[in-house]
Amino acid sequence: MHYINKLAYYLVIILIILSINFFLPRAMPGDPLAYVLGENPDMPIRMTEEEREMKLAEYGLDKPLPEQYVDYMIKLSKGDLGHSIYYKNPVMDEILIRLKWTLLLTGTATVIYMPLGIFLGAESAWARGKKKDTLSLITILTVSSFPSFVLGTLFVIFFAFKLGLFPLGCANTIGATYANPLEEALDILHHLILPVATLIIAHIGGTYLLMRNSMLSVIGADYILSARAKGLSERYILNRHAIRNALLPIVTMAALTIGFMTVGTIFVEKVFAYPGIGLLLYDSVLRRDYPLIQGIFLFISIFVVLANFIADMAYVWLDPRVSDE
Amino acid sequence: MTGVKVNNVLGSLGLGILAILITVAIFAPQIAPYDPHDTYKWMERPSSEHLLGTNDVGNDILSEVIYGTRVSLFIAFTVSITAIIIGTALGLIAGYSSGVLGFLIMRIVDIFLTIPRMVLIIVLAAFLTQSIWNLIVIFIIFGWMMTARIVRSEVLTLRSQYYVDSAKMLGGSDRYIIWRHILPNVVPLVVVQFIMEASHVIIAEAGISFLGLGDPVARSWGTIFNYAFEYPNIILSDAWMWWMLPPGLCIAATVLGLTFVGYALEERLNPKLKTVVGMEA
Amino acid sequence: MNKEKTALTLVFAALICSVACMAFSATALAEDGGVAITADKKIVRSVGGEVGSSDWRYPAPFTFYPRGPGYVRMSMLFDTLTWKDANGVIPALANGWKVSDDGETWTFYLNKDARWHDGEQFTADDVKFTFDYMKGYEGAFTWFDAIDYVDSVEIVDDYTVTISLNEPMASFLVDIAGNMPILPEHIWSSVSDPSEFKDDDAVMGTGPLKLVEYNSAEGFYHYEANHDYYNGKLIVDEFITMGVSNAAASLKNGDVDEATFWGSAVDAVKGFDGDDEFEIITGPSFWVLQMIFNCDADEGYPTNNVTFRRAIAYGINRDEIVEQKLHGGGVAANTGILHPDAVWYNPDCEDYAHNATRAEEMLDSLGFTDTNGDGIREYPAGAEKSGDLEFVLYTTGKYLREGELIQAQLEEIGVAVELTSSDWTTIDSYLRAADFDMVISGHGGIANPQILNIPDWPASTYDSDEYTSLFKEQETTLDIDSRKELVNQLQELVAEDLPVYTLYHPYIWCVYNPEVLDTWFYTRDGICIGIPIELNKLIFLARYGDANENGKINMQDVTQIERMILELDDETEMADANQNGKLNMQDVTHIELTILGRAPIRYE
Repeated sequence: MHYINKLAYYLVIILIILSINFFLPRAMPGDPLAYVLGENPDMPIRMTEEEREMKLAEYGLDKPLPEQYVDYMIKLSKGDLGHSIYYKNPVMDEILIRLKWTLLLTGTATVIYMPLGIFLGAESAWARGKKKDTLSLITILTVSSFPSFVLGTLFVIFFAFKLGLFPLGCANTIGATYANPLEEALDILHHLILPVATLIIAHIGGTYLLMRNSMLSVIGADYILSARAKGLSERYILNRHAIRNALLPIVTMAALTIGFMTVGTIFVEKVFAYPGIGLLLYDSVLRRDYPLIQGIFLFISIFVVLANFIADMAYVWLDPRVSDE
Repeated sequence: MTGVKVNNVLGSLGLGILAILITVAIFAPQIAPYDPHDTYKWMERPSSEHLLGTNDVGNDILSEVIYGTRVSLFIAFTVSITAIIIGTALGLIAGYSSGVLGFLIMRIVDIFLTIPRMVLIIVLAAFLTQSIWNLIVIFIIFGWMMTARIVRSEVLTLRSQYYVDSAKMLGGSDRYIIWRHILPNVVPLVVVQFIMEASHVIIAEAGISFLGLGDPVARSWGTIFNYAFEYPNIILSDAWMWWMLPPGLCIAATVLGLTFVGYALEERLNPKLKTVVGMEA
Repeated sequence: MNKEKTALTLVFAALICSVACMAFSATALAEDGGVAITADKKIVRSVGGEVGSSDWRYPAPFTFYPRGPGYVRMSMLFDTLTWKDANGVIPALANGWKVSDDGETWTFYLNKDARWHDGEQFTADDVKFTFDYMKGYEGAFTWFDAIDYVDSVEIVDDYTVTISLNEPMASFLVDIAGNMPILPEHIWSSVSDPSEFKDDDAVMGTGPLKLVEYNSAEGFYHYEANHDYYNGKLIVDEFITMGVSNAAASLKNGDVDEATFWGSAVDAVKGFDGDDEFEIITGPSFWVLQMIFNCDADEGYPTNNVTFRRAIAYGINRDEIVEQKLHGGGVAANTGILHPDAVWYNPDCEDYAHNATRAEEMLDSLGFTDTNGDGIREYPAGAEKSGDLEFVLYTTGKYLREGELIQAQLEEIGVAVELTSSDWTTIDSYLRAADFDMVISGHGGIANPQILNIPDWPASTYDSDEYTSLFKEQETTLDIDSRKELVNQLQELVAEDLPVYTLYHPYIWCVYNPEVLDTWFYTRDGICIGIPIELNKLIFLARYGDANENGKINMQDVTQIERMILELDDETEMADANQNGKLNMQDVTHIELTILGRAPIRYE
């Protein structure tokens, strides 16, 4: 029963996101046609009334709203997100060719910062009030108060330009030729390090604090106290009992993280000229390529909602108390 | 060091940072050596005349950053105060009237919290004209939900408690009960929420401006950073040190100040509270 | 196994899987483009723009982004009948040409050695096909499209075509012959939706380069040399252009070999000034920033008064704008719009040198005086409007800083300006409805007199019969000198009537590493119809007279040519300029001409 409720809830959310996307260009001030055809300062669209009618009809903008809405839904169900004004290509194609880079970037960052944040959070909570805890708390709070783009820019200046340790940006070396795939993989890795480091530092605070809080509440629990009373070693209690139980909320966290990460990559990809979806969103905002902007919004939103859904399901399955409700 | 002591130190440190920044914002015209729109020789290195040099069109960078404090803090505080008020009001309604209305409000909250708001904010900012007022409105629309949720759950807890019941038995009106008993208990939570929202907005606004969607006339720290970033010679010359670093550090300092204060408050109110400061963007 | 345990196992399994995935995808990505190529290839890497502005779409004739950089990326692959170098029009697919006395029929003698990238012979059929195709799919060629002037194309023989025009067209050699990419008939005859045709065949032309890879995500264009090129020997093997995060830093770091800078980026260019590793050339941008006035007789008060517009012009200090905004990386503009480096430039236009006193006198004479002493003038009594003389100045965020300077300057002559930054869609709708006071906006193409068609474009509030008829006349005047005189008059009219007040022309710079390639140059009046950038495909060719084919012409070349002619060298066949198997005086003449940079002998 609970699963069905959840499913219905998420379907409603997706429906709402789709509707926002539908109404955005229609509710905004200005000509909805301009949002489809785009603007080009060097070649403004000049149309006679007749041409305008034709264009409106071509994009189905002359129909009544409900009918437009149905058309829109039918198109979406076929995976059609419309055409990019700039690229003259289906929005979906433009997103898909960049997806691999964003996945590589966020994936690598997540794989590193999640365990790291969990580890540091657990260690910190375990040593609560001690110097170690205070130090790591203050360090992490301080470092993660820098916006990712400030951090990234500083990294570029120091590590890439001044020290020359890493490339200034891009996903691989321009015009490089590789002797073998391994060489290219290393080149890609070399380009990946700074943006990933930026993402990790900018996002580790959340996981760290959550794990620390979660651990703190676990440490006070009865079974830990009894474990202590049994005279088990601290390390053993930490590993066997505390961390395992404190990890539960992290499961939900993992899903939320995906949302924050996708947003974080917009800034990081801009700073490092990294050719992923974030950079595409930035480009299309610059060019006011509205169908593309909307397509990316839809893509990211649905992706995040799905992740939330999976996490929710996992949580329900993990925690018997929730499903008993 | 004990936990409490650390909290006190962090809290005061945070308050100190914020106090300085707020003073700078309020007295910007008195503190700033120049009008940020006045032009002098462009791209001057720092000197006794221009402590942080001048930017590409010859504005005094120090004055620009000082006035930027005003813009950034104004946006952050306007948004968080309004969002908190809306959130508290809706939270009270949702908690107090357990009917369709309450249910509806909470569903809306859930939905808003699931949609990745930063992406939607970027999309909206791209559709609307660039002005701080548009940004403020957008941020408010996406800023009230957490407060509403927290206030509601607090009200539910309080309602089930004895003194509200007895007040009711004694014939106190709903409004009286809310003002007299519930609000005072909710206020500390709301203050924490306010601080967290402010720090969200600081980072989010800086990000939006960094993408070039900020108000180009009322230049916030994010906009100043963006102009510096777009300057073609920024990495090759030393100008990043006095043009990029100051607004960047100001953003970080504000967020840090807010985080410290929020953390200290939170620990004091409820050490087990699981909300997380400074997680987004 | 309990649930927690399972969950933990799952979480870690997921993590391990992800790591594996990352490693795998990195390897997979690597395999994507990992082509093992032996060294010793000459690769030139150019900055195609910074983040957010480096993609110019697929470089096929009907899909490239219709702006200069887009056209140039296509022109590497497709040749036109004529082309331009640093000195002007030169032969390309046509070796020579002649025009009939009435100016309506052009005969082109085609190059017999030209081949398509797939090895097919290029012939007159392809030329006729291209023009017919362009006419058949009108509007598909979104770039500068002048096909309407062409009436018909006739094939005389395999290598001769005549093109008949509807009326004489003064700019035909550049705007049509030097603009229309010639398409291979054997490919395009079966293509019915040109703007959707994005196959490999869609980028197959006769040009000096062939497309290897295009990637819109990075604005990445990878070309390789067409070593069978008919029009000269290529001195590079590959050419790459793509977006980077910071052009100047990438150049310094050696990630790229060449980058373009523009206007206020002069500061970055100065950073390369004393650097021995780099060389810098400066060129004209053929671009102008201007202030458009509302001249509409009904809606435009008071900017529809020419004296008023002149007063505003005197009140604006353009030198200050050039200095403060461009840091000297430009020049106050020709008030007649056309660029000072263009052959059509009229140096005698009134320039309205900053003169606040004069501006104030003119405003006074029009009755705009400050009656209430607030520093801002008021409208004269009984005028269409009343109160403070205040204007809205619209601009996109890009030119806001110019707007701020103008705002301050006009305040000094008692004119209040409310500066509004808006997106282009909004501004354009105001321009269209003649619902504006003043707008700052810029455009390129000002080496070409055709741009004068609507001087206040993209608005069109300026209405002058004298101007319109002058424009029509110059369009059909074939005699260069008479046409120049007419274009001069047009410029003077713009400067006098001031439908727009031009602000500045930025400069453009090409900074490059000469070790890699040092043939960069700026094209006379811009590539094709006036593209100011340095990516002319001729940079990839050994220059005329470059006997070593090392990209440089110097005394060594002359010596080598002499030796060749005197048969002191093994490579005597290289002196056979006609390639008719004989060495004779014609060859010597030909070689002399090529050393001098003159075009090869034309057939008659």
